[in-house]
Amino acid sequence: MTYEPPVTDYDHIVENCTCAFCGCNCDDLDYLVKDGHVVAVRHACRLGASKIMEDMDQRLIVPMIRDENGELKEVDWDTALDKAAEYIANSIRPVFYGWSETSTETMKEGVALGEYIGAVLDNQATICHGPSLQAVQNAGYPIQTLGEVQNRADMIAYSGSNAMNSHPRHMARYAVFCRGYFRQRGRFDRTVVTMDPKFSDTAKCSDKWIGFEQNGDYGFYNAIRAVLRGKELYQDVISGIPKEDIYELAEEMKNAEFGVLFFGLGLTHTLSKQRNIDIAIKMVQDLNKYSKWGLTPMRGHFNVNGFNIFMAFECGFAFGVDYCRGYPRYMMGETNTIDLLVRKEPDCFMVIAADPGAHFPNGANQHLADIPVIQIDIHWGPSTELADVVLPGSFIGVECAGTSYRMDGVPIFMKKAIDKPETCRDDEWIVRELKERVMKLREEPNTAPKYVPNPNAL
Amino acid sequence: MKTITFDQIKTSSIALEFDELIPDEIYSWTEADFAKYQVPIGNSRFPLTDFFEVTVEGEANGPDEVEMIINGDLNRVKYIGCKMSGGNIVCNSSVDLHVGAEMSGGSILVKGNAAAHAGREMSGGYLEIEGNTKEFTGASYIGEWRGMTGGQIVVGGNAGKQCGECLTGGKIHVKGNCDILAGIHMTKGVIEIDGDVNRWPGGQMKNGNIIIHGFLGRLLEGFVLNGIVVDPEVEGVTYEGKYIQYTGDIGLNGKGNLYLDAEANKEKLATYGELDDEYTSIREYRNL
Repeated sequence: MTYEPPVTDYDHIVENCTCAFCGCNCDDLDYLVKDGHVVAVRHACRLGASKIMEDMDQRLIVPMIRDENGELKEVDWDTALDKAAEYIANSIRPVFYGWSETSTETMKEGVALGEYIGAVLDNQATICHGPSLQAVQNAGYPIQTLGEVQNRADMIAYSGSNAMNSHPRHMARYAVFCRGYFRQRGRFDRTVVTMDPKFSDTAKCSDKWIGFEQNGDYGFYNAIRAVLRGKELYQDVISGIPKEDIYELAEEMKNAEFGVLFFGLGLTHTLSKQRNIDIAIKMVQDLNKYSKWGLTPMRGHFNVNGFNIFMAFECGFAFGVDYCRGYPRYMMGETNTIDLLVRKEPDCFMVIAADPGAHFPNGANQHLADIPVIQIDIHWGPSTELADVVLPGSFIGVECAGTSYRMDGVPIFMKKAIDKPETCRDDEWIVRELKERVMKLREEPNTAPKYVPNPNAL
Repeated sequence: MKTITFDQIKTSSIALEFDELIPDEIYSWTEADFAKYQVPIGNSRFPLTDFFEVTVEGEANGPDEVEMIINGDLNRVKYIGCKMSGGNIVCNSSVDLHVGAEMSGGSILVKGNAAAHAGREMSGGYLEIEGNTKEFTGASYIGEWRGMTGGQIVVGGNAGKQCGECLTGGKIHVKGNCDILAGIHMTKGVIEIDGDVNRWPGGQMKNGNIIIHGFLGRLLEGFVLNGIVVDPEVEGVTYEGKYIQYTGDIGLNGKGNLYLDAEANKEKLATYGELDDEYTSIREYRNL
């Protein structure tokens, strides 16, 4: 990493902006603006700063439709919206996926459209913290805010999470290095434990590294629970960890004044999936007999939690909500985007503020190549290559205002700092327009969708 | 007795939902009624007769007098026998999700494999799957602590993850192998597994019985060794042979029983010290 001198050539500073990168939603950023563009960001981590100072080369500027030759052609907004509405109105198994990098206000319009047309609404939780949400429905949610962590926590445990790389300011601003009201000495007042098969960068900053074996999470947490219940462990090594280390860790956790377990995809996506989180929650509940403990999932996108909170409020299910029968349904393996795509069920796919082309497994992307895909996003990406209609949105927290939910469930208003490109529209406006056009199409007589089975599906 | 035969005309890429086509609903239907019926597919409904030719023979005064025979490729037909309380369904193919979910009576025979959630939350009746099942056989809905509460599920092949999750009654018999976390959170009932188990059966179980006739990969620390039992009797059934009996999961002060075939799991016994042929030394390690 080379030294970069501070940027001094700017017109004005927009203070106290909220970062639109990870679930930390750092709301202390200052944007340095010149000629209507953010040229530098103060206080942000490198990940957040590089996203906020967007690369205009990759910016989607104008609406596009894929022509008969397979090329994306620029069109006007009316043509693009009509085409997208036509795809949605004629579909019988539409899926609206994404939502984690847009505002909660946009989600409101999306749910109205999804409920009207009978679509599946799903977000990135389906490939990240979905198991956490299932476990929370099973076992409860012993959570605390990041402010409480900063001011009170004296023991921090990261499990299956490499915060140093994925959430760079998490340790600095909320959990480890920061000074708090009851933790005046910052890092020196805290014990940090990393539980991860890898000796990650976070483990390097920790006081203790518990390197249990891959997929050994459930057995490891079960052993801690057994120790907390006073049982003597009969195996010498559990999930790759000597039993003496488990006794020691359990004792330290019991003696903490205020402990917090932060967990990431290393826990949600190993062998036992939601049951890993389930038993971690139960362990935290056990620890609360001795001390104060809470846990928080390390959410990735800045508003992935927002969609889950919003949907759980609206219909009782946090993600993968299927409105096809007119009422919300949810079932893992049935109404989740990946499962639907791998089963080749969807006949129309709208992706908003997400990039399935980059993140989905091959089998899912193969089906996306066969069906109409509508993309609402700000950047050109692999999903644009799959898209039949491209609708350029706006950058929440930079080009337009909106509400997002931090990883601990605290709603944060994200202010507007600069104007969006003239040819782009707000996500909220785009989805509302689509809803109105779809309703108009569906209300016309003899417009019920015709079912044409996909010959490649079976 | 009324026999209703569904012969598939064409398959669908989007799953058909058969939750309305159960003996309770259709015992009085004629072929003309089926011709008018529209089956849910995605966000719409389409004529059932586009996909199945339906033949009705005989008369029935109630669901118990109905036999449904479904022929064809049923890999995209969900909710077969969902919420049924009587009658008999025979599926001559592998079936999609939720076969026999929430059923309270009657019987279903699947002559093939079943996708996930087979027998979810069933409270009575008999569900037999000749092939394999995927995840969550006889399990609960997400967030619900009571899974299957009664009836019997027989799986001829292997069962996927979390078979019998939150089992609260009834019996699941898996004749093949079983994946991880069978009987997790179970509070009552019996799971019998003839084959091997990958790892961690009975995680956080409170009560009930799991009998494993094959080899167990890994046992959780939450189980306390009770010792060797000979010919144990579980809910009126005697299982011949020597079994290692554990109690757990003590993480929940659980009192569930886990029986492992002693011959197939000699390795586990060795954890507790040298054993003679009669496994007598295990007694020294009881109640660890």
